[in-house]
Amino acid sequence: MRAALNRLPRLATMAVLTVVVLGPLYWITVSAFKDREEILRSTPTLIPQHPTLDNFRELFTATDYPTYLTNSFIVALLTALFTMMVSFAAAYGLYRLRIPGADKVAGLILVAYMIPGTLLLVPLYQVFATLELVDTRNALVIVNVAFTAPFCTWLLRGFFFAIPRDLDEAAAVDGAGPVRMMLRIILPLLAPGLSTVGVYAFVFSWTEFVFASQLVVSDDLKTLPIGLSAIMGQYTVNWGLLMAGTLCTIVPAIVPFLFAGRYFVGGLTAGAVK
Amino acid sequence: MALRSRATGRRPRSRHLLGYALVAPLAILMVGVIGYPLLNTVLLSLQDQGVVGSSSSFVGLENYQRALSDGEFWGAIGRSGIWLVGNLVVQTVIAFATALVIGGNGRWARASRTWTLFPWVIPTVAVAVIWQWLSNSNYGIVPKAAAAVGIDGLGSPFGDSALAMPALILMNSWHWFPLGAVVIYGAMRTIPVEIYEAARVDGANAWRMFWRITFPLLQPILFALGLVGSLWSFNIVDSIYLVTKGGPVDATTTAPVFIYNKAFSEFRASDAAAVSVITIVLLAAVAFFYIRVARPKEDQ
Repeated sequence: MRAALNRLPRLATMAVLTVVVLGPLYWITVSAFKDREEILRSTPTLIPQHPTLDNFRELFTATDYPTYLTNSFIVALLTALFTMMVSFAAAYGLYRLRIPGADKVAGLILVAYMIPGTLLLVPLYQVFATLELVDTRNALVIVNVAFTAPFCTWLLRGFFFAIPRDLDEAAAVDGAGPVRMMLRIILPLLAPGLSTVGVYAFVFSWTEFVFASQLVVSDDLKTLPIGLSAIMGQYTVNWGLLMAGTLCTIVPAIVPFLFAGRYFVGGLTAGAVK
Repeated sequence: MALRSRATGRRPRSRHLLGYALVAPLAILMVGVIGYPLLNTVLLSLQDQGVVGSSSSFVGLENYQRALSDGEFWGAIGRSGIWLVGNLVVQTVIAFATALVIGGNGRWARASRTWTLFPWVIPTVAVAVIWQWLSNSNYGIVPKAAAAVGIDGLGSPFGDSALAMPALILMNSWHWFPLGAVVIYGAMRTIPVEIYEAARVDGANAWRMFWRITFPLLQPILFALGLVGSLWSFNIVDSIYLVTKGGPVDATTTAPVFIYNKAFSEFRASDAAAVSVITIVLLAAVAFFYIRVARPKEDQ
């Protein structure tokens, strides 16, 4: 009896958490599949009575959503790729080759991560204007990589430490040079770490709003966060369409997370505990 | 012999060279995208540039004088304070409660460790649309649910200048609390079970164990989370801009939104830069004060 009483607050908290987190996500999902009449009904239905794909059809034919989606995919995939390359190289240099001053550089990486991106927007715009990179997808990729790579380098630290050093020595005895060792031996072992980093960079880029809102001007180069908010401004009354757009924006961020999320959470908590 | 000493003498240096070459891309990116612009903000703040990137001349500290005597700027700083403290309190409380329940052994608790993070992973623009839809005064589920229990005529809080700020803090907390929850959960797992068992033998109840064991042992992680989390939430523009653009009537214009508007709506780049510099200095001062006051004491 007492044990049951002790568990009650726990169960109640869990119930509240479930409703607060999954409730809104459930609600937009069902809303996206309702037709125009049902979504505005005064007594809301919990399950769509006549599920329809009309909202999605309209989204992909009548709006620029496909363009935004393509741009977001291009920018996010390139960001993930370059972040993986840059942070793997840097982490190998810092934590495996241990160049002089590695521990200080690592501290600097963390400080840089806390610098407000928004406050850098104005001068950054000028830098990109000088380089004639304003209004290109490359500008977004460069900014995203610059903001994700420092943190990801730090995130890879734990994964590097988990690989025994004896392995390097054994490979060195076999005559493997440092570059071969890096690419042939360490790289494959670091796959979980790299996928974590890749997912983080992908999601960061997928979400990024502030830089994308100013560094890109042309409609055909805009990414989803900008595009979806423009659609929101244009079609305020068409909630079904907006919900379909929101759902299609959420799914590509959640799916990779489902696969690499475990490592991701592990990496974050390991970093936090240190 | 000579060969051997040459080999051992050369290897570390070539390794270092390779090491530097590997770190170079990251270093160049950080200098180019973070370091140089940071320096440039200071230079820009001493000029009279209008549209970002247009020609300008040196004007000294004029922009600083104007910013410091600008009531709107101080209003924005005040709202940033409310924003920061509001987010910190709400998120810490929810994150703690979440961390306590997602650690269970049941199937649902284990699954919750994944889905709890969904609000954090989804793009801010989606968060903004979701909550505007949920709270829509005509069709939103929240006003309807409120009406069902007898609270009628609930409008959208984002359009109400008194409610917009608290509503945005709640929305933003929904977006960010999973990060804190997971970090706290990870830290809790490092506390040895034996401590709790010993306390239970001594007759301590759950409440007492939380305040006497869990909370003190988590102090270092809470300190770090408080610092990093506060800096992050201070800098948030997208959550606010996507929903209210700083309105209604500046009710949600925090310092970063103020800067964003100055630079890209009013086209006064140098003023924005001066305000940025002042903001960074204030932020650094607050962070320094926080570290002095809240840093956990080392065990003797």
